[in-house]
Amino acid sequence: MIVAHILTPLENILSAILDWLGPQGTVGLTWAWSIVALTVIVRLLMVPLAVKQIHSMQAMQAHMPEMKAIQQRYKNDKQKRNEELMKFYRDNNVNPAAPCLPLLFQFPVFIALYLVLRHPDDLMHAGDQRSWLYIVPDITEHANAHWSGYVLLVIYVASQLASTYFMSTTMDRTQRTLMMILPVAFVPVLVNFPVGLVLYWVTTNLWTVGQGVITRRLVPKKPPAPPKRSSRTPPKSEVEADGAKAVDDSAPEQQAVPAAPKRVRRKKKKKARR
Amino acid sequence: MTTILKVPAYLGVGLVYLYRYTFGVLMPGGCKYHPSCSQYAIDALRRYGLVRGIVLAGWRLLRCNPWSKGGVDYAEQQRLFR
Repeated sequence: MIVAHILTPLENILSAILDWLGPQGTVGLTWAWSIVALTVIVRLLMVPLAVKQIHSMQAMQAHMPEMKAIQQRYKNDKQKRNEELMKFYRDNNVNPAAPCLPLLFQFPVFIALYLVLRHPDDLMHAGDQRSWLYIVPDITEHANAHWSGYVLLVIYVASQLASTYFMSTTMDRTQRTLMMILPVAFVPVLVNFPVGLVLYWVTTNLWTVGQGVITRRLVPKKPPAPPKRSSRTPPKSEVEADGAKAVDDSAPEQQAVPAAPKRVRRKKKKKARR
Repeated sequence: MTTILKVPAYLGVGLVYLYRYTFGVLMPGGCKYHPSCSQYAIDALRRYGLVRGIVLAGWRLLRCNPWSKGGVDYAEQQRLFR
């Protein structure tokens, strides 16, 4: 296999790290925990990217009304809408989406780990403990070899769904539905994978979920609530949102700009439903 | 004859679709460019053939890094090949 040859260096690196983490190495973890630790290391390397993205998302909150306006303006033209949004992101130096390259970096790691686990005896000694948490008897065996493999697969599906839920901020509904179905469809394939690999995916997914929870804390989902409400009941909501200031300044005039595209949206929505 | 010449490119397109419905699903999150990297790869392969398509898609993937600004970038707008 060509892929296997290209990935040989990475396979060697992963083997070295696992060996360092493993029972014979400096850290001295069991093989199962070594895989978990390896996953955590990979994800830790990617944390700076996540931080960058969180900053970008925070910066984006300030531009929310303008973005909503663009979305409404090109509501029926998906391509034009995406183009305009991308231009807007670029002009304002913000971007909600993660770049592809670091995400793709995880695949070689995954495949290399698969190759490592395919020949476990190159790495693991005969006497090494290959069980995990007293539940999984051997992480190098296929997931369908023991009931614990199925338990892990259920956790995998749940964690995959959860991570999809947290990651998919920019996807449309069809794509999202597909992403919710496919993890289940993967199960028959994953059943023939070593348990260690499932462990890798569960760990990386749980990391994603944790990161997603933190991201959501740091980036409130709907801070520009006042302009959203203002179109329906302008005076009331503005008093609520802006507090005493809005009352003093009699704010409806100020909110006129964000309110205008909202009205357009409502009309369009009705049309679309018909 | 021309259709036969296009076969390798379409094999590449098929591989991109295979990626989309397997690994791509495991890695949700979108792309900082429009169209996304996988769509760019499909467009590039269809338009420029297998070899040049792979080069263009690879170059796009390398540009899709944390230090680039992203934005609108169609395969047709490439300036690598003429």
